[in-house]
Amino acid sequence: MNVWGAVAGGFVGTVVLTTALRAASELGFTRMDLPFLLGTAFSADRTRAKALGYLLHFVVGECFAFVYYGIFVAIGHSGWGLGAAFGLLHGLFASTALVSVLLPIIHPRMGTADSSAAARPLLEPPGFMMLNYGARTPLVTLLSHVSYGAIVGGFISLAS
Amino acid sequence: MRRAGYAPLRDYAAIGDGRTVALVAGDGSIDWLCLPDLDSGSVFAAVLDAERGGSFQLAPGCAFTTERRYLPDSNVLETTFITDDGVVRVLDAMLLPGDGLAPSRELARRVEGVSGHVDMHWRVEPRFAYGSRGPRIALRAGMPVATCGQDAVAVSAWEAGDPLLDEHSISGRFLASEGHAALIVLSAAHQEPLVFPPRAEVESRCAVTLAFWRDWAASRTYEGPWRDAVIRSALALKLLIHAPSGAIAAAPSASLPEQIGGERNWDYRFCWVRDSAFMLDAMMQLGCPSEAEAFFWWLLHASQLTHPRLGVLYRLDGGAKAQETTLDLSGYRDSRPVRVGNGAAEQQQLDIYGDLMQTAWLYASANSGFDRETGRRLAEVADLVCELWRQPDCGIWEVRSEPLHFTHSKMMCWVALDRAVRMAEAGWLPPRHVTRWEAEAIAIRDFIESRCWSDELVSYTRSAGGGDLDASALLGALMGYGVGDSRMASTIDAVRRQLGSGPLLYRYSGEDGLSGGEGAFLCCSFFLVDALAQTGRVDEATDAMGELVALANDVGLYAEEVDRETGAFLGNMPQGLVHLSLINAAVSLSKAQHA
Repeated sequence: MNVWGAVAGGFVGTVVLTTALRAASELGFTRMDLPFLLGTAFSADRTRAKALGYLLHFVVGECFAFVYYGIFVAIGHSGWGLGAAFGLLHGLFASTALVSVLLPIIHPRMGTADSSAAARPLLEPPGFMMLNYGARTPLVTLLSHVSYGAIVGGFISLAS
Repeated sequence: MRRAGYAPLRDYAAIGDGRTVALVAGDGSIDWLCLPDLDSGSVFAAVLDAERGGSFQLAPGCAFTTERRYLPDSNVLETTFITDDGVVRVLDAMLLPGDGLAPSRELARRVEGVSGHVDMHWRVEPRFAYGSRGPRIALRAGMPVATCGQDAVAVSAWEAGDPLLDEHSISGRFLASEGHAALIVLSAAHQEPLVFPPRAEVESRCAVTLAFWRDWAASRTYEGPWRDAVIRSALALKLLIHAPSGAIAAAPSASLPEQIGGERNWDYRFCWVRDSAFMLDAMMQLGCPSEAEAFFWWLLHASQLTHPRLGVLYRLDGGAKAQETTLDLSGYRDSRPVRVGNGAAEQQQLDIYGDLMQTAWLYASANSGFDRETGRRLAEVADLVCELWRQPDCGIWEVRSEPLHFTHSKMMCWVALDRAVRMAEAGWLPPRHVTRWEAEAIAIRDFIESRCWSDELVSYTRSAGGGDLDASALLGALMGYGVGDSRMASTIDAVRRQLGSGPLLYRYSGEDGLSGGEGAFLCCSFFLVDALAQTGRVDEATDAMGELVALANDVGLYAEEVDRETGAFLGNMPQGLVHLSLINAAVSLSKAQHA
């Protein structure tokens, strides 16, 4: 295990995660668009927001890979399977607490149950498990995060 | 007045944003809107199924009459409702991006009380995917939304009453008093979360939208006796131009019938190569070089996959597939089947090669040629025409009967080779096959003059050896075939005599493989005006033009056809080719009047 495995795994894992989410969107499984959600926290310009969102998504992907790495070092174990289990947990966290609860609080343009479109444009809130963006969104989110976790875990375990 | 839930086609006005178009009936109901793009599935399709199609209704709750217009030189529609209780003005527009984070598509309806107190009712009934999928309606952050798979719409209402939600609709009512201004906005999202806009930004985008249209109209260069009709046509065409690609849709609607209750119902939300030369000519005449350039390069790009063969039509994104299917909708006044996609994409039509080469010739003449690669590709198209012109085809009107040797198709093959020779002489096409092109052009002319002429009819016929007439022969004259020739002059008279009544013309006589009939074809009528003007018959052309301009609906739009007896519109609307041919006829007429 070393930190370069986490860097590489974080990058490849985020590529796969992003591609899977985009494909699911094109196939009609979900209206979730994580780069759009992230980018609009900083810019009201659609094009700029999406570009920034993709960049942020990769930064966040690397950050989570370092968190995985830290936990692997702490427990002295790593691997594809353990990474996949972490990914499942990560996906559940992302779709419940992170995006459903925390993001609307810190996102300056995201609606909550208490808001109305009074002064600023508001993004449709994701709701529990992001179900507002489509009934199959939780499944897509969990599967893509399991893939991410397996890739990060695998890369970290392979790096020596 | 609606009949069995259907407004007359003549009642529809169009609003749009360069991506999609909504059709607004005279009674304030939006009965057609596809999202996110003009060729996507519909969210409102009441014009094709009054019960299940979905609509966005906005009107007084009591009896009313209406007056309509577009705000001058814009695509912002104004409908004034006049009731016993007062007068209300509604402004409808698809908004263009402006300040702030805007929804990807935004339809705004601003309601202004002019006098008295009028009880206004509104109801949004979205039915996604051509009415096949009902929405899930709920509140999100206090906002009514309707979702379905990848698509969602939100309804923001300010000063327009508290929205009421039920299983199928979002509705409200309010009292519009003098000085009162309500705003109802439909925001749409596709494959992304919805954006709920604040009122101040919507109002700002309304102003931006109006200013854009007025600036665009003011930049058009036509100054002649038909300016109002020409500018309205230009604005209608601008609605049909797909902003991301520059392609132009033939019309924003699908399956509006050519005969009430009949089967001639087609999807026109594609770009036809046949329209290309008219499009480029009109855009250049109106001072729209950027639109003309975008269209020409889109056409070359789209046809690259099928090169050197051309598809009859292409999707607005440049794709060549347009599989025709039928929908489970009742159709406009029971006109079935309701089709989306277009089977004509699979046909062989030889005239389109002439349209492409004429388009290239017009573009090259205005821009002093084009690059070597484009020239090489066009030369390969000319070579292909030399091989294909002897084959029968389905013709410009896309008949579904057996292919024939259509006269117009042969004329356009001649046009293709004539323009290829001219472009080669100008140094824009490689010249190595010029001798062959010249020889084949002579052979085509011999074929037309020997087999497509009838001494009995004193006219070019619809097809080789046939006894029917076809108004498309007029196009031959407009493209330069037989200009100044006595045969073409007598063909114009024969077509008017046999296919026309006043300025109105039917397309052709004879079989086309379909049951039923159709109305008078308005683009042919404008072709007639153009042909008369170009052959020096200016007074006749002026009279006919005046009659045709008077046939537009109350906001200056045309459908594809008109019923000669009742004046009712038939077919898809607003139809791009009609408005293109109106512009070209007006320009020809102005030139002829000043000659």
